[in-house]
Amino acid sequence: MLWLYLHFPHLLLDHIRRTREEAGALVIVEGSGQKVIQACPEARDQGVHAGMRLKTALSLVPELGTVRADQQQEARILEDQARWLYRYAAHIVLVPPDGLMAEIGSLKRLYGGLPAAWQTVEQALDERQLTAWPGLGHTPLAARLIARAGKGECTDDKGHIQRTLGQMPLLAAEFDARTCTRLQRLGLNTLGEVFALPAAELARRLSPETLARVQKIQGTRPDPQAPWQPPHQFRQQADFVQEIELSQGLLFPLQRILTELEEDLCWRQQETDSLLLVLRHRHEEPTRVRIRTSGPEHRADAFLNLVRLRFEQQPLRAPVVSLQLSVKRFLGREADTGQDLLGETQDLNEAWHTLMSRLQARLGDQALKQLSPQADHRPERAWSASGVHRNNRPAGTTANQLPRRPLWLLQGPQPLTEAPIAWFAGPERISGGWWDGHRVHRDYYIAQLSSGQLAWVFRDIREGWFVHGWFG
Amino acid sequence: MSELLNTLMQDARVWQGHQHRSTSQPAEPTGYQILDNQLGGIGWPRGALSECLLDNSGIGELHLLLPLMQRLSHNGKTVFWLNPPHMPYAPALAREGVNLDQVVMIHTDEAGDFLWTLENCLRSPVTGLVMAWPGKLASRDIRRLQLAAEAGSNVCVLFRERRYADQNSPAALRLELEPGDNQELKINIVKRRGSWPGQRCALAMAQRADLAFHEAPRVIQGPWPASTR
Repeated sequence: MLWLYLHFPHLLLDHIRRTREEAGALVIVEGSGQKVIQACPEARDQGVHAGMRLKTALSLVPELGTVRADQQQEARILEDQARWLYRYAAHIVLVPPDGLMAEIGSLKRLYGGLPAAWQTVEQALDERQLTAWPGLGHTPLAARLIARAGKGECTDDKGHIQRTLGQMPLLAAEFDARTCTRLQRLGLNTLGEVFALPAAELARRLSPETLARVQKIQGTRPDPQAPWQPPHQFRQQADFVQEIELSQGLLFPLQRILTELEEDLCWRQQETDSLLLVLRHRHEEPTRVRIRTSGPEHRADAFLNLVRLRFEQQPLRAPVVSLQLSVKRFLGREADTGQDLLGETQDLNEAWHTLMSRLQARLGDQALKQLSPQADHRPERAWSASGVHRNNRPAGTTANQLPRRPLWLLQGPQPLTEAPIAWFAGPERISGGWWDGHRVHRDYYIAQLSSGQLAWVFRDIREGWFVHGWFG
Repeated sequence: MSELLNTLMQDARVWQGHQHRSTSQPAEPTGYQILDNQLGGIGWPRGALSECLLDNSGIGELHLLLPLMQRLSHNGKTVFWLNPPHMPYAPALAREGVNLDQVVMIHTDEAGDFLWTLENCLRSPVTGLVMAWPGKLASRDIRRLQLAAEAGSNVCVLFRERRYADQNSPAALRLELEPGDNQELKINIVKRRGSWPGQRCALAMAQRADLAFHEAPRVIQGPWPASTR
C-alpha cells in the first residue's frame, strides 16, 4: 500500500484568500485576538510571522486583514477538500485539523503510473489555489511525517523513503514530549537511530506505546484507517473579511461556488432543482434565499442568472458576513429525449425550463399557473390551478363529453345590473355541494346583454341574478 | 443602399399606396377563411405585434384566437395568458380541444414586470402565442415590445380598449372588434402591413354558446369576393 498525505500549512488562509477579489496581507489570529497563529506569504514578506502579537503585526502592516480562528470552520473546510479529492481516490482519511490522506498505490494503473497520479492531484490543488505539502509513504504515519516535514517526493522506492525517514530529526517525528526527551537523553537524534534499536528493549525501556508508534511508522504493525465517505449533500461557504453591502459583491464568490457545484453534479451525474442560500449578517438573523428552477438543472451560469434576478428583486437587508450555499435535493440526470439524430431540433425542454425558472425567479412562485379541469359540477370548482410543470404526454382525446361552458369565468359571480336583451338557452340546473358545505343551487341561462356581450347568468335559490362568465 | 430599399419593399414594411403587395412575412392562418382573405391570405403575423381593440370581453374575442391556440398547443408550443381580466375557464378550453399542458397563466403586479415578462416570453423558442392584456401602455413601450416580438417568431396579441384605435401604434396588425346583432364578431382592420386598411368582415360566433340558429357568414365589404366556406 502506498499512502499520499496532503498537509495544508495554512488552509484557512487559502480558503479566505480565494473568495477575495483583491489581494492583500492576511493573518489568522487566535480566539482571544492577541496572537497571530498563521500568516500568509505576503504578510510574511513584510515581517509578520506566526507567534507574533497582533499589535506588532498591525504596526508592521497597517492594512493587515485579520480572521479569527474557528475550529468548526476549519473542520468544515477540510471536509470540502476531501470532497474533491474523493473524485481521484476512493480511500480517503481525514486527519484534522489540516491533513488529508489517500491510498494511492491502487491508482497507479488507473492514472498510468505514480507520476501521473501525483501530477493530477497537484493540478487539482493548483486549480483551487491551495497550498499543500504532499508526502508519500508506505504507511499512513510515514506519509504524514514526510509531508509535514515538507520532504515529499514522487517516488515509491522503499529504500529511498526509509532513508528520508531515517534522516528525520526526532522532533519532527511527533513523539510526545516525554518520550522525545528520554530518547534525546539516550543520545538519539534522528528517527533512523530509533529504528535501529531492538524492539523488545524499546518496549521494556521506554513504553509499549512508543514501540507501537515506531512499528507503525515502519509498517511492521498494522495501522488500519477507516475510510471517509462523502455525505450526500453539497455545502459550500464563503467567509468575507470585509462585510459585503451590495448584492453585486456576492456574485463573485457565488460564481466560484456554483462552478464547483456544477463539477460536483457532473461528477455524480445528477441535477438539482433547488438551492438554499444563507446570508449571515453581523447583528441580524440570517437571510435565507431559496432558488428554485422549474426543472432539473446543473449549469453554473443558469443558476447564477437566477440568483442575479433574485438579488435584483430583493436587496440585501444588512451587510453580509458570510454566505453559504447548500443543496440537499438531488435528481438523477435524464437523457435528452428531444434531440434527433442530426441534432436539428432545438432542445425545447431545456428552453422551457430556462424560461419558467427565469419568470419564477422574478415574479415569484405564485405568479405562474397552469389550469386543469376537475370533476365537479359546481363551476367554481370544476377547475384548478397548479404550479407549472413540464408534461410531455400527448393531449388526451376527451373534450366532447364536457358541457358547454364559457371561456371566461369571473373571479366570483357579479350581480346582474340590467335586463338582458335576448335569452338563448337555459335553464341548466346545477345543484350540489351539500357534502362539503359549499352549497350551490342555481339555474344557468345564456343571455345577451345590451352591450353585445354573451353572458352566462344564473338565478340562485334566493332569486338573485348574477353573471358568472362571458362567452369570449 | 438600394438593396436595403428592396428588402423594405419586399417585406412590405414601406407602405405603397398604388399597389397591393403580398408580404413575405411569416404568419399563422387565423382559422377563419374570411378573415384570412381580408388579411391578404396570410393571417396572424409572426414575429410582430398584433392588437385587438375591444370594449368588453364576451363578444367572441377568444374564439377568434381559438383555432390558433388549438393548433399551437398540439404542436408543443406554449400559449401564455398574461394578466387576463378574468379567469380562463379550464373545462371550456379542454372542451374546445386546447391542450392545457401547454397553457400557462402569468400574473404580474407591476408595469415593469409586465413588459419584462412579455419580452422574455416573446424571445423564447418554446412560445407559440402570447395573449396579453396590458392596461395602459406608453407608445415607447409598444415599440419595445415590437422589437422583442421581432426577435422571436411567435404570435403576440395585445388586447386593448377601443379608444386606443385612434392612437398610432407600431403593431403590424390592428383589429377593431365589435359585437354584431346576431352574436357575430364584426372586425374592422385598422392597420395591416402591405395594403390598405379599412376592410370589414363579420365572423359568425354564435356557435360559441351552441345557439340554435346558424347564419351563413357574410362579408360586408372588401376587395375580394366572399369565398365559399
